Amino acid sequence: MSKIKVIPCSGIGKVFGLLARESVLMVTSEKCPNDTETLCLAHVVTGDDEVVGKIKGETCITMDGCAKYCAKKSVEETGGIVVKSHKVPDFMKAHRGEEHGSGTALTDDGWKYAEELAEILVEDVKEIKAEVN
Amino acid sequence: MLGNKIGVISCSGEECLGGTISRLAVRKMMEELKPGMVSTLCLPLFIAGDGGEREFAEKYPTIAVDGCSKCCAKRAIEKYSNAVAGSVDVAEIIGAAKALEKPLSTRNLTDEHMEYVKQTADKTCQIFDEIIAKK
Repeated sequence: MSKIKVIPCSGIGKVFGLLARESVLMVTSEKCPNDTETLCLAHVVTGDDEVVGKIKGETCITMDGCAKYCAKKSVEETGGIVVKSHKVPDFMKAHRGEEHGSGTALTDDGWKYAEELAEILVEDVKEIKAEVN
Repeated sequence: MLGNKIGVISCSGEECLGGTISRLAVRKMMEELKPGMVSTLCLPLFIAGDGGEREFAEKYPTIAVDGCSKCCAKRAIEKYSNAVAGSVDVAEIIGAAKALEKPLSTRNLTDEHMEYVKQTADKTCQIFDEIIAKK
């Protein structure tokens, strides 16, 4: 199977977008570089033939920063098959009261949370691969 | 006075270094160079069209900050709202090959990267100041 596409929203206004972005980069660059890759969401949403060719019919995981679900919706509209979809605030319960940083930089607690989000994505990747094999 | 009625949209591309630079340049503008004077818009939300972003870019000058020569942010603004008031292509500032290098986590930023961010933010501020001067 081709590499699983893992796509964050990278929203710029709040820390949630950066948490989504950093957790995905951990997965595609460090934790599962042979099984995953990311695509520019900005390119996906343009609907260019080039990016449609990369994503249409492909297995995708999205990590959104807010309930607008821009990554999930955009990937689906471009023809990607979103088999797992997450939203950063969904996992906040165990992190109440922590300060995670801003849209520019994460704090130590922010990095720990990003690491936790990345592990959730890694489990998704393992699950998807297990189903294929 | 346009004040915070000037929009700045970065591509924040996830596939290359230029996307990281574009994002951080816009954040630097928001926090350090023009605090309280710009409105930043999420590009995916802008294109989805349900957050009022398109209406903002139709009414007010908006600057696109793109990480590579695909210029996704600029093209999106012009497709869905209006001509951009200005655009910055990180690839023209740091070179196409450098801009297309692997994406970078913010924890791996070096002084060299921060210099790229500064140059991109300065260029964006220059466009911002030109817009203000025309009004």
